Amino acid sequence: MQNAISVQQLTKTYDSGLTALHSVDLDIHDGEILALLGPNGAGKTTLISIICGLVRPTSGNVLVQGHDIQTDYKTTRSLIGLVPQELHVETFESVWNTVTFSRGLFGKKPNPALVESLLKDLSLWDKKDAKIMTLSGGMKRRVMIAKALSHEPKILFLDEPTAGVDVELRKDMWQLIGRLRQSGVTIILTTHYIEEAEEIADRVGVINKGRLVLIEEKNELMRKLGKKQLTLELHQALQTLPEGLSQYDLSLVDGGATLVYSYDTQAARSGIGSLLADLNRSGIAVKDLSTKQSSLEDIFVSLVEGAR
Amino acid sequence: MNLQAIKAIYVYEMSRMRRTLLQSIVSPVLSTSLYFVVFGTAIGARIETVEGIHYGSFIVPGLIMLTLLQNSISNASFGIYFPKFVGTIYEVLSAPVNFLEIVIGYAGAAATKSIILGLIILATAHLFVPLHIEHPVLMVFFLVLTAVTFSLFGFIIGIWADNFEKLQLIPMLIVTPLVFLGGSFYSIEMLPETWQTVTLFNPVLYLVSGFRWSFFGQSDVSVHVSLIMIGVFLLACMSIVWWMFKTGYKLRT
Repeated sequence: MQNAISVQQLTKTYDSGLTALHSVDLDIHDGEILALLGPNGAGKTTLISIICGLVRPTSGNVLVQGHDIQTDYKTTRSLIGLVPQELHVETFESVWNTVTFSRGLFGKKPNPALVESLLKDLSLWDKKDAKIMTLSGGMKRRVMIAKALSHEPKILFLDEPTAGVDVELRKDMWQLIGRLRQSGVTIILTTHYIEEAEEIADRVGVINKGRLVLIEEKNELMRKLGKKQLTLELHQALQTLPEGLSQYDLSLVDGGATLVYSYDTQAARSGIGSLLADLNRSGIAVKDLSTKQSSLEDIFVSLVEGAR
Repeated sequence: MNLQAIKAIYVYEMSRMRRTLLQSIVSPVLSTSLYFVVFGTAIGARIETVEGIHYGSFIVPGLIMLTLLQNSISNASFGIYFPKFVGTIYEVLSAPVNFLEIVIGYAGAAATKSIILGLIILATAHLFVPLHIEHPVLMVFFLVLTAVTFSLFGFIIGIWADNFEKLQLIPMLIVTPLVFLGGSFYSIEMLPETWQTVTLFNPVLYLVSGFRWSFFGQSDVSVHVSLIMIGVFLLACMSIVWWMFKTGYKLRT
């Protein structure tokens, strides 16, 4: 599969001396939805800003559909749409004018029909002549999305699109992202919401302290996370596992006082019932039991904490 | 050349003028009329003619230059400062446009506005005093050249300024005094000799003088020197703007 974006050894050190990115390598596949997770100040926005031309890289390269973002910036920028994190809007302008302006700015001939369908898609059509300052925060966010889509980009960056957005609009946004993906647009979004990444992303990347600490297919990640553990506290510590229980994925911890059973939640049967029956049959008394599932959030937190 | 982008910026900027018609047109016309009343009537009663020209008519080119300079600078500096202030500049910086296209769009719109304004003031002046323009084509040429040059200058100020005070600083502190001392309301021959020499270092003198020549066919300094001086200033402004985009000065980190 061709790469929509190829980030190579990208480093950014600001004048203040802060290094926001440490030689990041990242390939973004054509047509995928990539979710970038990371705490505040991890470097997500810096990465996006460099690709879009707002920030200059200190070293390293970025190729957008094979074009260099510095030597061939006109080509790369016309392929990209950006919805920044902050609500930057021309308060005194009308919705229609500001979206039309964006299209022209990106070198496209006026196309009122396209702008109309965009505004209708984003439920902004009845507000097309309204001044932007009269709109609610969620509406302004949609205006920014309309601006970013006005020049029919092949790649869309959404920097925290659902921060401070109500549940309904978030669902709308997810649907919109789904439709865009259907039309072949590559989408990169940053988010704080793990749930959001789970819901819509094809791949998930985690950035922390300017480094890409993980990038994986979401399904693969979910499969790994699909493992669940049953912890059984025993009345009497065991020296070894009884023979009859060898078919289970069991391990003894705590000097034999605790038995841990790992199982796959995706499997048809968890095997918990039969394990308990077998334990009973072997005369092993269970004092207490608990189950635990590691979530994307746990992995995320452990990655981020581990780097601290 | 991204012509669509130039057009988009230009049209967008011009639409801001339509929205703020009152501030953009009415107030400069009103203040110019006040100048006419104060200078033309009060002072004109004491000075009948300057270099054989009726004083009321004599100050018309200077008054137009004053408005042209102030408005070119304020239009252009505000035009680029405002997107920086509200953050919408991100869009221009992420767009497939080069510095030339951005400058043509923003400074072009600012220059257009001040040229329109200059012509309105000329028409207003016509109501107060008799006017005859000796070299109309050159008059328009001076008007355009000055408007473009000072729109570029305003653009530079707009990029440089990081607060509203700085935006006002240079126009208030430097440009207005230079205009008043640049022979807008008098001929430098009316000054003592030392001050005549000092005035020769004021770039506005060359603008006003050249512009006045296009009206009356006579001026303080030669029209060629005037043209060269405006050309030098235009080139200087263009170089600074080019450098600003090249280095990303206050635009890209």
